[in-house]
Amino acid sequence: MQPASIAAEIALDAVEKSFGNTPVIPPLSATLGAGEFTVVLGPSGCGKSTLLNMIAGLEPVSAGRIRIDGQEVQDWEPKDRGCAMVFQNYALYPHMTVAENIGYALKVAGIARAERQQRVEGAARVVQLGDLLDRRPGQLSGGQRQRVAIARAIVREPRVLLFDEPLSNLDAKLRHGMRMELSHLHRRIGATSVFVTHDQVEAMTLADKVLILNEGRIEQFGTPHEIYHFPASLFVAGFIGAPAMNLIEVEGDGTALRLPDGTALAGSAHRGRAVLGIRPEKLRIAEDGLPATIVYREDLGSHAVLVVRLGSGQEINVSTPLGGDTVAADQLSLHLPEAHVHLFDPASGQRLNVTQGQVR
Amino acid sequence: MADTNSQFNSRWLPIALALPQLLLIFLFFYVPIYMAFFWSLSLERPFGGGAEFVGLQNYARVLNDAEFWKATWRTVVFMLIGSSLAVILPLILAVAADRRVRLAYPARNVLVWPKAVAGASIGVVFLFIFNPFIGILAPLNEVYPGLWQPGLDGTDAFIMLIIAHVWGGIPFNFVILLAGLQAVPQSFHHSAAMDGASAWRRVRDIQIPMVLPQLFLVFVLEFTESVTAAFGLIDAMTQGGPGGATTLLVYKIYVDGFKGYDLSGAATQSVILMVFVLSLAAVQFFILERKIRYER
Ligand SMILES: Nc1ncnc2c1ncn2[C@@H]1O[C@H](COP(=O)(O)OP(=O)(O)OP(=O)(O)O)[C@@H](O)[C@H]1O
Ligand SMILES: [Mg+2]
Repeated sequence: MQPASIAAEIALDAVEKSFGNTPVIPPLSATLGAGEFTVVLGPSGCGKSTLLNMIAGLEPVSAGRIRIDGQEVQDWEPKDRGCAMVFQNYALYPHMTVAENIGYALKVAGIARAERQQRVEGAARVVQLGDLLDRRPGQLSGGQRQRVAIARAIVREPRVLLFDEPLSNLDAKLRHGMRMELSHLHRRIGATSVFVTHDQVEAMTLADKVLILNEGRIEQFGTPHEIYHFPASLFVAGFIGAPAMNLIEVEGDGTALRLPDGTALAGSAHRGRAVLGIRPEKLRIAEDGLPATIVYREDLGSHAVLVVRLGSGQEINVSTPLGGDTVAADQLSLHLPEAHVHLFDPASGQRLNVTQGQVR
Repeated sequence: MADTNSQFNSRWLPIALALPQLLLIFLFFYVPIYMAFFWSLSLERPFGGGAEFVGLQNYARVLNDAEFWKATWRTVVFMLIGSSLAVILPLILAVAADRRVRLAYPARNVLVWPKAVAGASIGVVFLFIFNPFIGILAPLNEVYPGLWQPGLDGTDAFIMLIIAHVWGGIPFNFVILLAGLQAVPQSFHHSAAMDGASAWRRVRDIQIPMVLPQLFLVFVLEFTESVTAAFGLIDAMTQGGPGGATTLLVYKIYVDGFKGYDLSGAATQSVILMVFVLSLAAVQFFILERKIRYER
């Protein structure tokens, strides 16, 4: 298999979708760079599959334009768009052998048998399927089916590779393996890839860029680093990271952010109500600071997650290295490093502190 | 069984519960079969009275009768053409309904209605529809006099019979095939569309292979049923005419037995017909089914 299929840029221009009267995707615009691996991440039912199907041509757009490599394709047939897709349940044709499954697109395209066989074998080699070509899908394991589905997608050397939750049917260990393989495969093939998932680990590990979707709207579109360290909204802040970012309602008086009972959490020039966000692993255990009571402790081997209760009664997560001074204690005091504090508008959910906290 | 199955304490209760059904099957299936075998080996008197064992004489007589072979030939032709149409037509309709073409939903309901109509009634209705003077094909006769004469022309009568039979077979086969098509997951259509297969190509390469089990089922049922189910239609529409053109084996048996009082001959032909149907089903099961087993 030649390493470079011609990668293509995908431009979504005010793409809209509604089923009947139900709007699923309000006008949405984004540009997915050529050769980039974009992960579309969002909760169930937010329109990820719908978006992918519109790019593939399996769902018509209600309005807007989709350009692949500069050409407007929203009215084209799926086969003309140069996309290939890997489906969640693999959708391998049960009555065809593995080789026939992989080669079906080539057969439909009228490619001669000899070349077809050569390309099928090439694609099978890429995903290490060599000796399974004569089997039926029913005789394969989940991981092997996954490979067949990927081989079937790459055999046509598509400009765009689309994945709809391809790993969600695999067990945790296999998932990790396939993640690595997909990552390698992407680098080798170089096609523009769009990968839909609701698993944030997949998103963080695979993506060049993550597109976070919520009820059809883009919450944030950025690198995994940006998404994690500078969440653009409360939704992103709460969605990314495990355990999730602590979100605390505070009031700013121009010098500090205070809990309702007046306790100062961190210094800030902000005035008025806000939601303070801080990741569990960014909280420091300090000599003197915010007093907190430990209510629950989870030892995860590499680190421990403590659930602590603040004076206001709110419970937050603290992630600490194991051992040390927290083991026996049931009281501790916390320090919130100002650089790691995120501030969000409680009404709109948008990020408030644009410049603050930009620590890499 | 009784000691491993804890649902029934008594060994006799399950048998007692199944008894009425077993009795019915015994009385109306096995007894007649036994009687037919018995009669086919003896010479029955038309008005009762002592039967005389004659061995295979009846079979020799029937198999040497040209009329028997003609009726058998008509049965085979009817079976092949009638059954194929009665499967292919519903298949086309089911594919259309599955693709949600316009009016598919009302059509789906209307198509099921014939299931509720008995064979003889279908025959009577079609007799009116195909009446050469007042039926839908009557205008044909005004343009080309004598083109449509099911009462006089054997071929026309046979065609009429097949149309009526196919019409009666549509609902069941349609429902089974549609259910099969609808069980094909959407992602297969999507996947094949991404692979570049046109709608027709998808029907051929994906949908039909995936409903092969259902197709097989309706073919087996159609083939075996068409041989005997034609009776009601023939009796209502043509009474085997004109000139014996629609005398299928099943109708010949009836005529020989109840009109000609040749009970032994009729029983012999019944046995032959039964063996024919059974071997048909057996061949289909043993040869065909082996080839279409696969997991979804
Ligand atoms: N054919 C359809 N008709 C009507 N509504 C639909 C249709 N397909 C999807 N929807 C609705 O559109 C919304 C988005 O669906 P979509 O399948 O894109 O979600 P998703 O993000 O892929 O979810 P998941 O992670 O569960 O796969 C859902 O609310 C769904 O109910
Ligand atoms: Mg989905």
